[in-house]
Amino acid sequence: MTDATAPDIPEQKEQVRVWDIWVRLFHWSLVACISAAAVTGFLLGASWIALHIAAGLAAVALVLARIVWGFFGPTHARFADFLRTPSEILSHLKGKDAGRHLGHNPAGGLMMLALMAVILMLGMSGLVGLGGALRTGPLLSLPYATGEVGLELHETLAVLLLVMVLAHVAAAIFESRRSRENLVRSMVTGTKESRPGDHTSYPVQAHPRIAILLIAILAGTAVLLTEADTQTPMGVPVAELDETFMDECTACHLAYHPSLLSGTEWRSIMADLEEHYGEDASFDTETTKQITDWLLAHDASNVQTRPAHLFAGNLRPSNGSMTETRAWNHLHEDVSNERFLRAPVYSQANCSACHKDAEAGWFSPFHIRIPKETSK
Amino acid sequence: MKYLFVLPLCLLAAPLAAQSTTPADLVAQYSAEAGTEASADRGRDLFLATHTGGKPDTPSCTTCHSPDPKAMGQARTGKPIDPLAPSANSERFTDLKFVEKWFGRNCNSVFGRDCTAAEKADVVAWLSSL
Repeated sequence: MTDATAPDIPEQKEQVRVWDIWVRLFHWSLVACISAAAVTGFLLGASWIALHIAAGLAAVALVLARIVWGFFGPTHARFADFLRTPSEILSHLKGKDAGRHLGHNPAGGLMMLALMAVILMLGMSGLVGLGGALRTGPLLSLPYATGEVGLELHETLAVLLLVMVLAHVAAAIFESRRSRENLVRSMVTGTKESRPGDHTSYPVQAHPRIAILLIAILAGTAVLLTEADTQTPMGVPVAELDETFMDECTACHLAYHPSLLSGTEWRSIMADLEEHYGEDASFDTETTKQITDWLLAHDASNVQTRPAHLFAGNLRPSNGSMTETRAWNHLHEDVSNERFLRAPVYSQANCSACHKDAEAGWFSPFHIRIPKETSK
Repeated sequence: MKYLFVLPLCLLAAPLAAQSTTPADLVAQYSAEAGTEASADRGRDLFLATHTGGKPDTPSCTTCHSPDPKAMGQARTGKPIDPLAPSANSERFTDLKFVEKWFGRNCNSVFGRDCTAAEKADVVAWLSSL
């Protein structure tokens, strides 16, 4: 068979099954999950975090299931079908390996491995960040600093994945043109037309029962891990708010949690109550001492929460406000200034208007509810 | 001799009793201290006027308290403040320590100084006349 016979091939070409139903379902479900995670992560604010986490975890679950299927699925689903040695990949890229690969070609196979690896690392770094920085999820007792590293890594990997997805889409379009077949449609229908000169793969039988068993074991492990979520995380504020502090300080503002600021900052604020953010808020000496002592005993150094690390120690020396810190402005850049000033929020100092857990010192993204504007 | 026992007990009990004074008692007490008769009209003018000398963010009582003392006010933080007029809020002017704490703070914020006994008498007189 030579290329010269190609134009004589009749219109209705023989179709061969390449992608089994599970590979196709995996592919398009993963597209949906990664899209949802990308949109919520890159474009939407912190209040979308629940959907972001759900989409991300679903993507990880899909990849894990796909890895199992890579060992027990049919011919083209298997890693053995598309993972090649570096020299084979190079020779493919140089155009030296003639003939079409029905499954992933050697370069595509490498991309599949890389995509799966990056998605798994994204899930892991996300859980590390969620646990360490936000004190939620199965890793909720990690040190805060570890969580921060997790979040940074998560952001970097997310950009990397975005680039890889674009490359993957570009390669699919490029290959579709080059081989004059619609690869995207193949991922829907599962078939490709059989052509002379195709690389032949040794057909292997799928073992769905073993695959299902392994996936069930993985799912069970995941459930056990999420059970750990019900523990009380280490390093979160647990002390009840002091009665005097509550009585006195909440006369004008919400109970700003002692863990939001460092001891030095509290001491400085409490020493200058006559000039307290534009008003005189002075106490008698005894009350001042009592409240100061309590604040110092529960300051930022006692907890591992995100606000305790973002705001504490970052106020301007002369008793500045948390709303002036870079971290605060970065976190609130999506909320317009007018939004803060209008009813029912009225002020940037009114944290609890949107953060339902503000007085507990958590400021979890799960508890943000931006209220509808009211007339007054 | 009896007083020696009763007096300390009364002093101890004083903070426990929510009702340590009344608006009328306060007006009388401040007026006596000032040596002048209280005037509700002067109190109203003082309360509604815009002042200088205090802190720039709080030029008037009405910055935080509503110009209508029977209505809710609002602190600069967004937190609501209960009405000042005893007719709208029966807890007002019943706790001397509380009244003194807030006159102390707010006069300093608005005027940049302590209020005189006469000014306190006038304002309480106006607020309790509403």
